[in-house]
Amino acid sequence: MKVGEPEEFIIDGKRLDGRAPDELRPIKIEAGVLERADGSCYLEWGGNKVLAACYGPREIHPKHEARSDRAALRTYYRMAPFSVNDRKRPGPDRRSVELSKVIRNTLESVVFLHLFPMTAIDVYIEILQAQAGTRCAGITAASVAIADAGIPMKELIPSCASGKIDGKVVVDLFDTEDNYGEADVPVAIIPRTGEIALLQMDGNLTQEEFEEALNLAVKGCKDVYEKQKEALMKRYGGE
Amino acid sequence: MKRRLVIPGEEVAEGSIILGHGVYRDGEKIYSSILGLLDLNENGVRVIPMTGKYLPKVGDYVIGEIIGNPMPTAWEANIHSPYDALLNASDYYSEIEPFSILLSKIMPPGKMIYALIREITPTKRIYITLRAIGTHPLKGGRIINISPAKVPRVIGKKRSMINMIRKLTGCRVLVGQNGLVWIKGELKAENLVEKVIMTIESEAHTSGLTDRIEEMIEREIK
Repeated sequence: MKVGEPEEFIIDGKRLDGRAPDELRPIKIEAGVLERADGSCYLEWGGNKVLAACYGPREIHPKHEARSDRAALRTYYRMAPFSVNDRKRPGPDRRSVELSKVIRNTLESVVFLHLFPMTAIDVYIEILQAQAGTRCAGITAASVAIADAGIPMKELIPSCASGKIDGKVVVDLFDTEDNYGEADVPVAIIPRTGEIALLQMDGNLTQEEFEEALNLAVKGCKDVYEKQKEALMKRYGGE
Repeated sequence: MKRRLVIPGEEVAEGSIILGHGVYRDGEKIYSSILGLLDLNENGVRVIPMTGKYLPKVGDYVIGEIIGNPMPTAWEANIHSPYDALLNASDYYSEIEPFSILLSKIMPPGKMIYALIREITPTKRIYITLRAIGTHPLKGGRIINISPAKVPRVIGKKRSMINMIRKLTGCRVLVGQNGLVWIKGELKAENLVEKVIMTIESEAHTSGLTDRIEEMIEREIK
């Protein structure tokens, strides 16, 4: 057993932070928080604090990245040095390059890039504070920022993770569960069609467990989607 | 008439109907692709954007800024859209000998112009012209920047808003479809017009705006 690893993850049906197995951490989303960006979003998801900003479509530099049939979507996932317990060394590393790519692929499935050939759409995702599940939080915030920038897209894209602790499948892991748990399954869906835009798995699950985890995450995504809609409605004065 | 606010992916109509801006079809149903106000009637369906960049259209009047060092026979202009615009020397002067004169002597970088979009090529090259009616380089005055989505409110129905502002303040006001506004007049009047246009931008969604703005100007002038 490692230092900090709890003996039990689920006590009396409650998880270590007091949640039920199918309960999400509290989510707060606010759209349009930045003056200079074309679109922006601030999201708090339990202990995660994420700021997403979207610019574009705009002139692309360097020019060789331009595509003659569509816009180039560029995502930058970055963790602040103060976002984790041990200082995160600033600058790009393997993990943030990978997450930028994963998030870009997810967003590319909904944004209408073919409408803006030869341009760039830049999405910056800044993790101010991390408590596991930052890629899901990043995707959720980024899609609100893109909608806030007025860029045409198929639909908002919510994201949520599920995982396995103490041999039980639960939704939305927080840091202790993520570090010492048995599996982690981040999922992003396109809510209307139910298409899966992101699916990763870290750890081992049986087929039955995987299906249960996927269903839980999809259910979580739908809750997150409602919050996204609320945030945009609030920003633009809809009811 | 109150229009409903829709978000990307929201179902707005179904069946055979003419699709306008900001909507897409998936099977039988039609969904919004942008955040904006739904405009659904017997002529078709569209979503009026609430935010977003200016997308150039042929025939639009825009305000632009000459940028960079001019090429031998063309200027480049920033028109606050995803694409920079090109202004051929022949779209300003009828006869110009290539290399005979430095274009930067005529219009240096930073010069503002009120121009018409003449052509957009399939490769998204935007050609603007200064030889159309009403277009000219701008001298003096000031430029303010508003959201392109709010431009129709600043102009008003049948240009009512902008004509009223011009008449009451005596300022020259030009509104580019790209969200740039040029104001020239007395210093005090310029300040007033700037304030008025900012008010229009922030209250664009309310009704009876022209009357309230008229009251506001008359109150300020006294």
